[in-house]
Amino acid sequence: MSSLPETTIQETNLSKQESSQLLQQLRTLLGDDNVSAAAVDRLAACRDYWPMGTLWFLEGKAPALPDLVVWPRSTEEVAAVLTLARKHGVPVTPYGEGSGALGGVIPLRGGIVLDMKRMNRVRHLDRENLLVTVECGLNGALYEEYLNRQGFTGGHVPQSIRCSTVGGWLACRAAGQFSTRYGKIEDIVASLKAVLPDGTIFQGRPVPRSSTGPRLDHLFLGSEGTLGVITEAVLRIWPLPEKQALLSYAFATLEAALEAIRRVIHSGARPAVVRLYDYVETSHHFPETKEAEGRCMLVLISEGHSDIVAAEAKIIDAYAREHGAVACGPEPVKHWLERRFNVSLASTLFRQGAVVDTIEVSANWSNAASLYHAMQEALLKVEGTALASGHWSHVYPDGAALYFTLCGFPPGDKADYYKQLWEAAMTSCLALEGAISHHHGIGLHRGLWMDQEHGPGLEVLKRIKKALDPDGIMNPGKMGLEEALRWRK
Amino acid sequence: MAQVNRKQLLDCALCPNMCRCECPVVQAWGKEAVSPSGKSRLAHLLLEGRLSWSEEFLEALSACVGCRGCQTLCPFPELDLAEELLAARQEASQAGVCLHQVAPYLGNLKKFGSPYGQGRGLAPAGERGAAVLYFAGCTAAANNPQSVETALALLEKAGVSYQTLDEFCCGYPAEIWGDLELARQLAADNRERFAASGARTLVTGCPECRWTFTRRYGAWGIELPLEVVDSTTFFLGLIREGRLQPRPVQGIDTVTYHDPCLRARLEEDWERPRELLGLIPGLTLVEAASSKEKVRCCGGGQMAQLTFPALAETMARRRLAELPAVSAALTDCPFCRESLLVGGGTVMELTELLGRACIER
Ligand SMILES: Cc1cc2nc3c(=O)[nH]c(=O)nc-3n(C[C@H](O)[C@H](O)[C@H](O)COP(=O)(O)OP(=O)(O)OC[C@H]3O[C@@H](n4cnc5c(N)ncnc54)[C@H](O)[C@@H]3O)c2cc1C
Ligand code: SF4
Ligand code: SF4
Repeated sequence: MSSLPETTIQETNLSKQESSQLLQQLRTLLGDDNVSAAAVDRLAACRDYWPMGTLWFLEGKAPALPDLVVWPRSTEEVAAVLTLARKHGVPVTPYGEGSGALGGVIPLRGGIVLDMKRMNRVRHLDRENLLVTVECGLNGALYEEYLNRQGFTGGHVPQSIRCSTVGGWLACRAAGQFSTRYGKIEDIVASLKAVLPDGTIFQGRPVPRSSTGPRLDHLFLGSEGTLGVITEAVLRIWPLPEKQALLSYAFATLEAALEAIRRVIHSGARPAVVRLYDYVETSHHFPETKEAEGRCMLVLISEGHSDIVAAEAKIIDAYAREHGAVACGPEPVKHWLERRFNVSLASTLFRQGAVVDTIEVSANWSNAASLYHAMQEALLKVEGTALASGHWSHVYPDGAALYFTLCGFPPGDKADYYKQLWEAAMTSCLALEGAISHHHGIGLHRGLWMDQEHGPGLEVLKRIKKALDPDGIMNPGKMGLEEALRWRK
Repeated sequence: MAQVNRKQLLDCALCPNMCRCECPVVQAWGKEAVSPSGKSRLAHLLLEGRLSWSEEFLEALSACVGCRGCQTLCPFPELDLAEELLAARQEASQAGVCLHQVAPYLGNLKKFGSPYGQGRGLAPAGERGAAVLYFAGCTAAANNPQSVETALALLEKAGVSYQTLDEFCCGYPAEIWGDLELARQLAADNRERFAASGARTLVTGCPECRWTFTRRYGAWGIELPLEVVDSTTFFLGLIREGRLQPRPVQGIDTVTYHDPCLRARLEEDWERPRELLGLIPGLTLVEAASSKEKVRCCGGGQMAQLTFPALAETMARRRLAELPAVSAALTDCPFCRESLLVGGGTVMELTELLGRACIER
């Protein structure tokens, strides 16, 4: 028997007897190779990329361990596992590639971790309707690579594309870097297949739209494994863009830049990438661009049909100049394209004892600038915070997403500091009517503010949960649907 | 003893697995524990003494084919995860932990100098004292002796006087399996035998042997007394000099080339095999969906066929799905050839094709 580390927020586990009985039953259902009770697999499934998980790892601890890890290969196998789990009241937590930023995969009550990675096939490519059917354990970069080889793009490039699954995107309502043109995952998904906690298979239909009651597929978007397991999806795709324009502008103030972006979007232009950096991030990311010194950098990519790209570039240029921007050419955009997946600094800072995190929220244009200032001020007030820089991305006619990068060297307990930091961020965001998450989702940690986010609306979500999962087996303790007993404010 | 660079290992352990799409092991196996960062996290906890060594932990750390797919995307320029994992595995041996599936091969290595056992190595042939020493490597000698015969026939045809020895393993498998002591012993024996042979050039058809001779022996404190050349480069030279004259090969017109990872990634040599193919008349080369420095391992790296056969087969099938439909798939490595054979198509080492182009009618 291998040793396992101490856990920090584990609530319960199965008894040895329950675990070994379940192991036998699951082996019968799925075959020996697709079920494991081995320490090595239980340990690997203990966490995602939530910073507290990382901090505990540095102390040699694990957040919580499952009793078993299971690798289903088909929707039917998922259904069989859920049916069995429900019969015995065993918790089930889906696991994609563990890039989630909020502890969503932590198996707080042990039980089964359902690792989706062996469901990774592309099922069907429909060139006429620009649809592709894939299994949900498929890695994002391999999905995009498959499409590129066929002359298409999925239009969804989160920074975590290389380390996340299609199922994780759907489960977290993810957003990619090119989302202003192609949409977020909820715009990209045409339909999905999901297994409910009682083993029932839900199969949506990939129609362009319907007026046949609430769109049930969308119930599972953002459900983070609490309502069932998404096993397959039909996603919209696009022909590879024929033309790309790389544009960048330096603005004297964040306010001027936000106003220019708002007007671009209101004009009807839909550049794929729109990213506006504050002063700190501009100097950090674009030190070579002299024109951007002491200014805020806006990078944009317009892509698609060459006529559309030309028109968009013209519109963007006109509004940018009208708001006093200096054009900086394609170089800063190329620099961003090259560096956009590099998150090495976080590793280095963690290693040096820092607490590092990112917080993404969203706001209407009317509050956009004030939300940035208010959140930044609140974050920097928390003792130990060394950095709270931000950028805007993912733009809509009614607003945009604001993304903070945080780094602190806490004077005392790291977990206490971490909670204070988030309390400051969430409270200041809610005060200005922002949404507490734009795309990372809720997971375990952000569940602490779900009641404030939704008010009485949370009750609706809880009732849906109760109706679909009366025994509460699916990813228990998450999304603020019930209290996590060992992770409280 | 090679030391783990703990700082680099920790950087990797703290990374959100930003290269996992290029790790053929985790993509084929689907187990979180064998993802690049998953392995680093485990190794870190073991080396910190937070966990104690066990066979299942060692197995996860051994699930690496050394392909360096991770390095192609890694933001840490100094980090070579495959090397850190090799070094970490030596610590398991110190703790007395070994993989059960490795034990018989390691036993064979110790007793017979070949992981495949007695009488599976190459026998001495050619001219004693000849300047060229042909080194087949354990896998070609044991499992594809025709390719070795072809290589020797090509040397003869070109008028190169050569010799072969009663071959011992290069030592790399011993290191892979956690026995650096044995690896060094084999290396020292090889140096003696190579020196005694009087040869000035060692030609080998195995990239893992070549890599070991040229890059690992130095780290183990062993200097070889002769130059080491890969068979493709050597035969290419003979063609250029007009000493080998390839003709069209019957039944083979379109080919693809699968780059062995070490050759493509660590030696950054993907042109010479293609140049050689270009010198065989009547061949059209169709590139694989990912090739050259972007190649994906076929499951042959670090002898995974022996120790992780099911995984290696899945990896091979994934790789085969990337190869175009052609009359023959070519490669430059005995392990790759063996891996790719699971698909049932025609798979050959370059030497074998060249043999048909130069020797057979
Ligand atoms: C460096 C980095 C950059 C990131 N950039 C972005 C970004 O640009 N945009 C963005 O949106 N997010 C981003 N994220 C967050 C994260 O990558 C996304 O949330 C991603 O969608 C998670 O996918 P995953 O496969 O890793 O899921 P996991 O982390 O494994 O799981 C996330 C949650 O989804 C559930 N889940 C997973 N698969 C299924 C399934 N098939 N059915 C039901 N539930 C399931 C899990 O139970 C868990 O609650 C980033 C994260 C990192 C570490
Ligand atoms: S090898 Fe590099 S990219 Fe891959 S997990 Fe480690 S640090 Fe991250
Ligand atoms: S060297 Fe290859 S097998 Fe090993 S961790 Fe890197 S990508 Fe995976």
